[in-house]
Amino acid sequence: MVELRLNRELYAPAAIEAVAEIYRAYAEIELGDEAGYRLVRVRAASPEREHRVAGELGNHALGLTIRRRGSEP
Amino acid sequence: MQQPIDGFPAGVAHADVGSAEVSLSVDETLYPLEAFYGAAFTFLDRCYVLLDRPEPSQLRIRLTGKRPSSEPEALRELLGELANELLASAWRQQLAREQRPLVEAVTVRAMEGALGGPSLEELARFEFDDQALEDPLGIAVAWEDKYGKKPEAG
Repeated sequence: MVELRLNRELYAPAAIEAVAEIYRAYAEIELGDEAGYRLVRVRAASPEREHRVAGELGNHALGLTIRRRGSEP
Repeated sequence: MQQPIDGFPAGVAHADVGSAEVSLSVDETLYPLEAFYGAAFTFLDRCYVLLDRPEPSQLRIRLTGKRPSSEPEALRELLGELANELLASAWRQQLAREQRPLVEAVTVRAMEGALGGPSLEELARFEFDDQALEDPLGIAVAWEDKYGKKPEAG
């Protein structure tokens, strides 16, 4: 299992929710909360797949957050 | 295991050769959040990017290559690119902030021009007695004065 800790001040909560839905097609995704963070737990068939899905999910959530803020270069 | 990198101040930049990760911490008063986002965006295609705010005025970015290289020199190069991109992004943000009034003024003028001529109602409300233009130096000459019929002498 791989766990991503996404800071609530830096990642839009709506972006995390939207992206989690998308990646449920590729792995088992569980969302949780911790002080100041949204936790994303990823379970897949292999550790390599877990890392890849977690990494892409984090990137996607960040990209969506940046797009929504209009901060892309 | 995390270790400092040559050429970067201690405590600011770290590399983890085992997991091919680099991280850089910056002061938010020097690198605004929008610049931080802008720099992070440029690495999304080749790295897994994770942002964090370990302290209220500190931002941290962690990059893990999608095709990881455990060569220390490759990690140092990646970190250098990140530091450069952060600086460039902060500079772009500052320029955009400074130029915003000019861009807005030009856009407003362009929009006014694109709206076309005045309507009949606007012409009806127009005060023809108003000063046509400001001429504090008295340079402008009325058409009638320049080209109008001159009174015959005598």
